[in-house]
Amino acid sequence: MNDNLAKMREAAKRALESGDVGYVIGWGATKFPDKTSPLFMRKPEDAERLVWNEYAIPGIAKYLLDDLYPDKPIGVFVRGCDSRAINRMMKDNRIKRENLRLLGIPCDGKDDERCTICRNRNPLVYDELLWDEAPTPEPKDRYFRANAVEAMSADGRYAYWSEVFDQCIRCYACRNICPACNCKECYVDMTATGFQGKQHSRSDNLIFGVTRAFHVGDRCIECGECERVCPMGLPIMGQTQKILKDINELVGDYESGVDAESENYLGVFDLDDKDEFM
Amino acid sequence: MSKIGVFVCHCGTNIANTVDVERAVASARELPGVAFASEYKYMCSEPGQQMIKDAIEEYGLDRVVIASCSPRMHETTFRKMLKDTKVNPYMLEIANIREQCSWVHTDKAKATEKAIRLIRMSVAKAARDEPLFASSIPIEKRALVIGGGIAGIQAALDIADAGHEVALLEREPSIGGKMAMLDKTFPTLDCSACISTPKMVDAGAHPNIKLLTSCEVVKTEGYIGNFQVTIRRNARYVNHDICTGCGLCETKCPVKTDSEFNHGLSKRPAIYKLFPQAVPSKPVIDKNSCLKLTKGKCGVCEKVCPLGCIDYADEDREFTETFGAIVFATGYELIDWTALYGEYGGGRYPDMLTGLQFERLVNASGPTEGHIVRPSDGKEPKTVAIVKCVGSRDPKKGKSYCSRACCMYAAKHAHQILDKLPGTRVFIFYIDVRTPGKGYEEFYDQTRKDGAIYVRGRISKIYKDGDKLVCNGEDTLLGKQVKVMADMVVLETAMTPSSGIEELATMFGVARDVNDWIQEAHPKLRPVETQVGGVFLAGTCQGPRDIPDTVAHASAAAAKVVSLLNKSEMETSPMISVVRREHCCGCGACEKICPYTAITLEEIDDRVGAKRVKRPIASVNSGLCQGCGACTAACRTGAIDLLGFRNAQILEEVDALCL
Ligand SMILES: Cc1cc2nc3c(=O)[nH]c(=O)nc-3n(C[C@H](O)[C@H](O)[C@H](O)COP(=O)(O)OP(=O)(O)OC[C@H]3O[C@@H](n4cnc5c(N)ncnc54)[C@H](O)[C@@H]3O)c2cc1C
Ligand code: SF4
Ligand code: SF4
Repeated sequence: MNDNLAKMREAAKRALESGDVGYVIGWGATKFPDKTSPLFMRKPEDAERLVWNEYAIPGIAKYLLDDLYPDKPIGVFVRGCDSRAINRMMKDNRIKRENLRLLGIPCDGKDDERCTICRNRNPLVYDELLWDEAPTPEPKDRYFRANAVEAMSADGRYAYWSEVFDQCIRCYACRNICPACNCKECYVDMTATGFQGKQHSRSDNLIFGVTRAFHVGDRCIECGECERVCPMGLPIMGQTQKILKDINELVGDYESGVDAESENYLGVFDLDDKDEFM
Repeated sequence: MSKIGVFVCHCGTNIANTVDVERAVASARELPGVAFASEYKYMCSEPGQQMIKDAIEEYGLDRVVIASCSPRMHETTFRKMLKDTKVNPYMLEIANIREQCSWVHTDKAKATEKAIRLIRMSVAKAARDEPLFASSIPIEKRALVIGGGIAGIQAALDIADAGHEVALLEREPSIGGKMAMLDKTFPTLDCSACISTPKMVDAGAHPNIKLLTSCEVVKTEGYIGNFQVTIRRNARYVNHDICTGCGLCETKCPVKTDSEFNHGLSKRPAIYKLFPQAVPSKPVIDKNSCLKLTKGKCGVCEKVCPLGCIDYADEDREFTETFGAIVFATGYELIDWTALYGEYGGGRYPDMLTGLQFERLVNASGPTEGHIVRPSDGKEPKTVAIVKCVGSRDPKKGKSYCSRACCMYAAKHAHQILDKLPGTRVFIFYIDVRTPGKGYEEFYDQTRKDGAIYVRGRISKIYKDGDKLVCNGEDTLLGKQVKVMADMVVLETAMTPSSGIEELATMFGVARDVNDWIQEAHPKLRPVETQVGGVFLAGTCQGPRDIPDTVAHASAAAAKVVSLLNKSEMETSPMISVVRREHCCGCGACEKICPYTAITLEEIDDRVGAKRVKRPIASVNSGLCQGCGACTAACRTGAIDLLGFRNAQILEEVDALCL
């Protein structure tokens, strides 16, 4: 058992014993050795089931949306990406800081392509830090998917996205896991017909894909959970990366979820906005 | 099933020449829900409207689609028409087949196809129209006029004469604006002060007008009929309630600083009236140059004031008042040519004047008592070059627009020089001479007869050679280089919007055009209104113009204000946003995007399972909402919807076009 895991179990146990939190969210083992699943610890002894290894990849913050009005604060382990997810949902007025007990765990990076573009391994918001922060290594190409698609011709891109969305089964797993997809009721769940329809057709799927990308848009925290959970393995970070790339090229460094105060770039109007496209 | 009537207009030949109206009607008849379709030469005319009313009766129509010009043109006309029928005025759709079709296409077959599609979209949307009902809001019977130039003064006087209270707000210590600075006015050459000062006095003395000089708008809330405007009165350090304006303080103040009114051609004390005929005729202290306020020394004015009006502890004061209508009359400024025209010396030569400086120079109450002399050495000039269009009609360096008054006041300046200093050689460099106006061409002709030499061409360079200002340019009519050795140069520079207009416009949610002039609601049909209800425009804040046009514009704005204030309440458009509470998640995206600050988040009581909870949701202020629809696009859930343009209606239109 590694040191850090011991610290995490200890922290979870302490929190549960004190009765300050209703439950703590972390990671637990599954029947597959290389997979973990979210773990909801309610009793101090549940802390023994906590795992922390190279497979503790899934984002766990989104589960906070399932319990918006808890009687007691909810404990959550937060890495950099989880903390950005939490900032995201706080900025969107969905969760409240006072309902959270954030156990900060600086991450060492996991064996996953999406972790190579991570810009914040250390949590950006937390109540206590369980071990020392370490610098985040220089991230690899932040727009790796978008760049690949941008390099294609217009027809090539159309063919590419058509092929991608021909495979989409509209399970909405990407929507369910995404911390930016935090609406009370998602538009895809409301009955819709016409071009917003839900047939398994190329056009309906493409419209869904592009709408999802724009709804997430400038609020994407670049955690890549959408791709991780997609049962069809679709490379949909290419869409959100493209939007972020455009924003970054237009206005300079922009990142969502680094705090819970900064405005969403596309969500405000400012006289000093760059408007070279107008 | 709805019973839609489709009426396709020929607009004379405007539409019919490019769109096959009969085919459009025939295809409309086939659309689902259409009970009747027909065409007519002019739908908006009396017989056209009667035809629609008759069809409503005869076929029992419950909604109407009119394929004609832009809804901005006649939507209100047709809404009014529907008021006399069984059909709710909002069960109306306009398919714009003129501006968006016939006017922009030449291929009749394709244009007809497009018109058919536009009609199809409108029919699809109309099928989902729902009756809407206007509500009414009370109107505060007071107007605020911002800017005390001739435009603001005229508007205030007209509104006040009609019996309504007006606050005339001016950031300078006196009203008067640019007109008070002018010497004579073209084309009649009557003395500017003689016609403007009596108006200033009238405004100052009018029982219905309250002057708010040295004041600025800092914040505004509310909407048409009910603006709550927060105003800051900048500290004057002189108690105007007691001051009689005797002027003793001004004579004793030891400070000498540049006079704004004389554009730096003379000095003024730190305690000063903007100009001798200022209204109110009482001095203020300029806190930036006063020795007492900057260094704590002096205090002379306090000692000499016989009434003890001086109060160095005076502070800026904010207060909030309610107004039913607002008039923007913030005027213009001259472009800073020194920053743009390095080749003219960039402001290094004292004998180069702007038009307004020249006005002060020839003015009998100006720094030289009206003698035209060079600021550098006090000598009378023998040769004067007047350069027009400096910064105007010059998209590369300045503004692309024409400043409209310069051709005429350049002729006036030439005339004044030739009149006061006969024998002087006056050259006027011009691109064109534009004299549309009563008596204007005659005035220009007279100036040429007086001896002014008009040279067509821009000046490329001005530099100093001895005590001469050498103007190099081209006479484009002769195709020759010209060089004028001038003793004095007058630059007739471009008018630009007043500084601070961005903030003010943004506060009221009023749009500006590409050059920052305030945008009128419609260039032809609504030239004194903005697109924000209850906010009107007077004078040069909307674009360059001369005094006659300014005054006419201001009186027109006043007429609009008066007709608004004459009502005790007014109808509001029912086409505003509504929030579906059950879908709203309170993210606030709409709140931030709304340009009219119509949306706030409010906490509501809700139930989640067995729990009673409080959660934020968006709420729309129906008085502020202008129905722009920005929020509906920002809301991801589609929880906020614009009545008359519901998301479902827009989607129907898209489907009608694409599927
Ligand atoms: C050199 C020259 C000569 C001219 N000669 C003639 C002529 O002979 N005949 C003729 O017909 N026209 C002439 N004109 C044009 C004439 O000056 C204008 O048409 C007229 O003065 C415009 O009046 P106004 O009230 O719109 O603007 P202004 O006179 O500019 O008045 C605007 C007022 O609003 C105030 N203000 C601005 N912003 C704010 C704010 N945010 N808050 C509060 N107050 C504010 C300003 O201080 C100013 O007092 C001449 C122009 C120039 C430059
Ligand atoms: S439609 Fe929406 S964004 Fe537009 S004014 Fe109304 S509330 Fe504001
Ligand atoms: S109406 Fe839509 S955008 Fe506005 S707060 Fe509600 S969910 Fe957010």
